[in-house]
Amino acid sequence: MASGNGSTDRPAAATIGGQAIPDQPDLARMRAQRWQRLQHELTTRDLDGLVLLGSSAVTYATGAEMPGHDGDRAALFRAVAVAVAGDAAPHLYTCYDDGAPADLPDDHLHGPLFPDLDDGVDQLAEALGEHFASGARIGIDHQTHAMRRGVPGFEWVDAADVIAAAKVIKTPDEVACIRYAQHLNELAMVDALRALRPGVRQIDLSATFLRRAFELGASAGGIDPIWQVMAPTRECGPWTVHGDLAYPTVTTDRFLRHGDVIWVDAGITWQGYVSDYGRTWLVGAKPNNRQHNQFRRWRIVADAVLGILKPGVSALQLCYAATEANDGVRPWIEHFYLAHGVGTESAEMPLIGTDFGEQFDRQLIMQPGMVVVLEPVIWDEGAAGYRAEDIVAVTDNGWVKLSGSAYDPYGLGA
Amino acid sequence: MSPVPRDRGVLIGAMGLEDDARVDFARLRAQRRAKVFAGMETHHVDALMLGAVGNVRYVSGARTLGRFGVLPFAPLAVVVAETARVHVLSTWDEGVPPEIGRDQLYGMSWNPVKLMEALAAIPGLRQARRVGTDGLTPTIAGLLSQLVTTAELVDAGPVMAAARRIKTPDEITCLEVASAIAEAALTALDEALAPGITERELLGVYYEHVSRLGVPYPPSESVCFATPTRGPVRYRHLVSDRPVGQGELVVLAPGALYAGYEAGLARTRPVGESVPPDAGKLASRCARGMDALLAACRAGNTGADLYRAWQDAGNREAPLPLAHGLGLGAEPPLIGLGRGSRAALEEGMILCVQSWVAEQGVGGCLERATVLVEYRGSSTLTRYERLK
Repeated sequence: MASGNGSTDRPAAATIGGQAIPDQPDLARMRAQRWQRLQHELTTRDLDGLVLLGSSAVTYATGAEMPGHDGDRAALFRAVAVAVAGDAAPHLYTCYDDGAPADLPDDHLHGPLFPDLDDGVDQLAEALGEHFASGARIGIDHQTHAMRRGVPGFEWVDAADVIAAAKVIKTPDEVACIRYAQHLNELAMVDALRALRPGVRQIDLSATFLRRAFELGASAGGIDPIWQVMAPTRECGPWTVHGDLAYPTVTTDRFLRHGDVIWVDAGITWQGYVSDYGRTWLVGAKPNNRQHNQFRRWRIVADAVLGILKPGVSALQLCYAATEANDGVRPWIEHFYLAHGVGTESAEMPLIGTDFGEQFDRQLIMQPGMVVVLEPVIWDEGAAGYRAEDIVAVTDNGWVKLSGSAYDPYGLGA
Repeated sequence: MSPVPRDRGVLIGAMGLEDDARVDFARLRAQRRAKVFAGMETHHVDALMLGAVGNVRYVSGARTLGRFGVLPFAPLAVVVAETARVHVLSTWDEGVPPEIGRDQLYGMSWNPVKLMEALAAIPGLRQARRVGTDGLTPTIAGLLSQLVTTAELVDAGPVMAAARRIKTPDEITCLEVASAIAEAALTALDEALAPGITERELLGVYYEHVSRLGVPYPPSESVCFATPTRGPVRYRHLVSDRPVGQGELVVLAPGALYAGYEAGLARTRPVGESVPPDAGKLASRCARGMDALLAACRAGNTGADLYRAWQDAGNREAPLPLAHGLGLGAEPPLIGLGRGSRAALEEGMILCVQSWVAEQGVGGCLERATVLVEYRGSSTLTRYERLK
């Protein structure tokens, strides 16, 4: 296992808050520690509780598993989490009682609520009335109009910051979950890469990858896997509002042809935690010298960031290091970032190098327990470019890598 | 190609045909947009800001990245009545239909303030008096009140639900194609089903099959579960690693999307040789419940008629919906779980109808179909042999 611990490279030295990252996560302990983090945020912000409607927030607060559902199905049949300040456990309202954690007390597991429907909003009002006094100050992540009409009497504040603050620091068990999700993702990608050849379609790669991911133990899909063919120049790629690259575009039955450069991006989840596989593949060809150089440059940029990554370093310093290693050219796409966090969402805080701007990055300080997906992009106008993702967790002394270190078909001989 | 083929079967495929025989997507989108603009006029809504996946797709027709789960509200599409234009959050033009010009795209932002700046530049939006949204967050509500200071934020639901409820002929064709894909997936699951295979492996078979058919992104991963021959039987949504056992009844419930339109289908199959003696009886009870529900699916009836039909067929309260709307994903009405008694069934609605029965010592049995509500009855779009 690679790590940035300086003098010692032993994985046992990778600690977060003095705790080692376990090989196998203790899921009950993980849920309990997340609950403590949420309770801490409620106290700090003087909130009486939270009402959560977004899938990933519900997963974080309760540990509830839900089958993967497309957007509107996920909305109509959404699970709802209610966190009451000072309570010992979250309340979960769900259709999917088979996904409720075994340690959730019986009186905290309830049948579904339908906050999207006027027909049923009275049950929601009644449920919230059981947990909160009139006038309570409650964080909420999403409001439906039915709720705005049918659930009066509370002071609503945005829960986004509360959730983000709790989620940004991962417990050692959470890091173990991300590492395992990533491991499953990378194993399934071995089969997909093996299937890659001229004449295969993007959807054929999805077919091979997804089948294998579920056989191996993935809990749910995340995003539709991406196998974007990168045109050699910006001009030849899709038009964009900012003139920079378009990425990621949606998978179709597009045929992959000899010499195509493919930027792969896929996330499957395990126990609610998202993985993030990013690599560059070539169709029917080995990397030529120019492509090897693109990879080397990518590695130099990633290593420049990893070289300074440790608690106390600011996001802005990481951005500067990346840009300097790329000869002054910002090595990421305009609408994205140098790096992003990953957890119960595919992209969450810390977001590094976004349109929040330099002041934001200056104040965003790396801390033990942050998980960072580094995804620099090396663009070589005329010959496409190289993109991959390295996932690391910031530890007490440096970082530990959570993603694998194979970059096939690049790397060898580079 | 005649405008209306006598054999509708020629429409049920995903391949592009040179004679434009199949769904005319430009017409489909134009008819959807026309319904939205008409609804905005009826409800005096000057602009819509939409974030729900189905609504965004309905107004824009843009192919956006599929992802599971539901996110808090964000304005992903904007419709302005005055200019009769649809604007979409997309940083690039790939996947955006030709009627939406490049100047109607606004790029993705992480910073909500930047997003609001992009919205402020949309012609006609700042002058809107009544703006309909399909959700809000406290932060976005605050930012929107700065953007459109004089506007009243109202519910986009009446406009969007009314537009989406009754399907156009092109939408129904899309739902028929989705039905055929769901049938193909059911065949693949049926063939793979054997003692010893795990639910997880069956989900893998499903994913592989629908991906190769061009729909890698399914409506739901809740597609199969084995029911026990001993002990309590409950409906399960999540796949397990448990191998399917001899004599068990296994629910196979694959859905499929075509151009965003969702069809669902379910059948239950016994595994292996030693089928419990009462499995046939359970299957008949399931079929009777289904037939009763289907008979109640006709224009003019309400959700209460479905509840009554279900009870009259000898069933108690079901732990899952008797029916819900389908279109660009799942939609209202929801009939079952105590909701939807007053929901009116109208000609041209599509429903997912389902019958779930269970008996300790035998197992569980699910039938699910995608159904078009008609004037005097209904047509079932999904076809598959029943368990006997």
